[in-house]
Amino acid sequence: MALETALLVGVMFTVATYLILQRSFVRILFGFLILTNAANLFVLSMSGRPNGRSAPVVLEKGVPMVDPLPQALILTAIVIGFGVAAYLVFLLYRLFLDRRTTNATEMYEEP
Amino acid sequence: MNWPAAPVLLPLVTALITLFWGRPGMARRWVTAFSLLLQFAVGVGLVMSTYPGRVLVLGLGAWPAELGIVLVVDLMSAVMVTLTALVALVAQVYGFIEMRWAISHPLRIPLIQFLLAGIQLTFCTGDLFNLFVAFEMMLISSYALLTLEADDWDIKHAFPYVAVNLFGSALFICGCGLVYSLFGTLNFAGIARRTLEMERDGVVTLVSLLLLLVFGIKAGLFPLHLWLPNSYPTLPIPLLALFGGVLTKVGVYVIIRALGTVLPHDLGILHAWLGGFALVTAVVGGIGAISRPFIRGILSFHIVSQVGLMLLAVSFMTPLGLAAAVMILWHNLAVKSSLFLIGGTAALLNRSDDLSRMGGLWSRVPWLGVLFLVQALSLAGIPPLSGFWGKYMVVRAGLEAGEHLLVAGSIGVSVLTLFSMVKIWLATFWAEPDGVVVRVEDPRWRRMTGVVAVLAVVSLAMGLGAEGFSRIAIEAARGVLDQEGYVRAVEQFLGKTGGVTP
Repeated sequence: MALETALLVGVMFTVATYLILQRSFVRILFGFLILTNAANLFVLSMSGRPNGRSAPVVLEKGVPMVDPLPQALILTAIVIGFGVAAYLVFLLYRLFLDRRTTNATEMYEEP
Repeated sequence: MNWPAAPVLLPLVTALITLFWGRPGMARRWVTAFSLLLQFAVGVGLVMSTYPGRVLVLGLGAWPAELGIVLVVDLMSAVMVTLTALVALVAQVYGFIEMRWAISHPLRIPLIQFLLAGIQLTFCTGDLFNLFVAFEMMLISSYALLTLEADDWDIKHAFPYVAVNLFGSALFICGCGLVYSLFGTLNFAGIARRTLEMERDGVVTLVSLLLLLVFGIKAGLFPLHLWLPNSYPTLPIPLLALFGGVLTKVGVYVIIRALGTVLPHDLGILHAWLGGFALVTAVVGGIGAISRPFIRGILSFHIVSQVGLMLLAVSFMTPLGLAAAVMILWHNLAVKSSLFLIGGTAALLNRSDDLSRMGGLWSRVPWLGVLFLVQALSLAGIPPLSGFWGKYMVVRAGLEAGEHLLVAGSIGVSVLTLFSMVKIWLATFWAEPDGVVVRVEDPRWRRMTGVVAVLAVVSLAMGLGAEGFSRIAIEAARGVLDQEGYVRAVEQFLGKTGGVTP
């Protein structure tokens, strides 16, 4: 599983980077959404396999269990990601309203 | 002893009170000012109780300290908390004077308090993931403040700021994950203890590089500084003072904390790289500042230059170098934000902050000129003002570490700083071009000058009382570098609460 997760995270980071570097705002938005998900998946994969290890919150030893701490971490990260994504949608929409274009090149060329 | 939570809780409570306060009005302003004063007082109290090198620890939620979140306040954090509260107080009161409550945006006050809560949590936290949360609190408030009163042009320049910081946040989460899988804990003290026991490992250097990248984005380290000089000048002056004075310094503080306390001191080539990049940052910031034709632009580019100088001193990784970085950091907090405020007052008098349309201020308002001169010369490092002592220590630390190139570069950057300060001085205060109006009849400038004078007095005190000031800085740097002491303090707390380590 570790290899597949690593590959998936790699692909997601690649796609996200590609999309963020595009000119269209919609693509940039999707790029950021995928980027946060890639980062969350990466942290999730840090739990590792439960082989013989027990989670630090369980006091009795020897109960095989996936380390829940990374899950707690990405729970926080997902919530923060939600808020930021909502903000980003509004920011990009406002940018679109100002110039009536979703193309970053047209937006940033000097009038 | 729950005092380490006070600097975070106070702004949070104030933010909630002012957010749900029915109507905007003078009462809300009094509450805010009183709360900021209280935050400053708490900061002073923390400095007094940590001064001889004591570390205050508070575990939240009664978890065993390595799993739960701990707040750790040492001298370095305490002084940062105090200075941040002071700058925020001055900037906020300046904002009150600038605009009557009826026409100022009602959300500005609570958002500034949320921003402060994030900043103070960054200073007080002892946990890497909590640091991420603090960063997000700070960043989201700063996004909101950046776009709150923005017009088309401002929004356009706010977007790169948001985009770059979003990318930085994603990298930060990855860094947290890597640290957790490497060390099995996210607690600063836990990481520090394991790095003390561990052999030198390439992976640790890699993780350190990732974290340095994240904090470098926040601090504006070359080549990650490009978001800064265009997005900051779109802010209103009081916010600009807070952002320019405090927000980038948070990045520098975290780099100092991470390299000094958390990560191993032996990171191979990493520190040399940091030194090189810091020198380029300082030079690029200095040259960029000269290219800007308006005060806010010049001062914003100067932030980059100053950050470079601080990180240059950090990269020596000697107690003296770190003390020099800490000294410049503190001096900059006071001086930079007051320069923004003075520039704002000058722009108010001239009704423009474009250097070619300003002038005639020295003959009309000499006191503003004196304030500017004191702060600008201090920034450039003219003795006996506060900037000089920091630079003197950088040069000494650099010569002791044998980094002659970096020392020469840092002196060259001072000349660049002086050049652009003189540029503002000549255009704004000395020039008497025809057709420039100075609105001395506007009563606000007197009160504004009075408020800024508070920060000028603080920076003068830092310069003239350099002996005591440098002693505090050296003590703080020693505390930051003392990994064993930090670990011991947190573990003592752990023993007291009867927690277990897995």
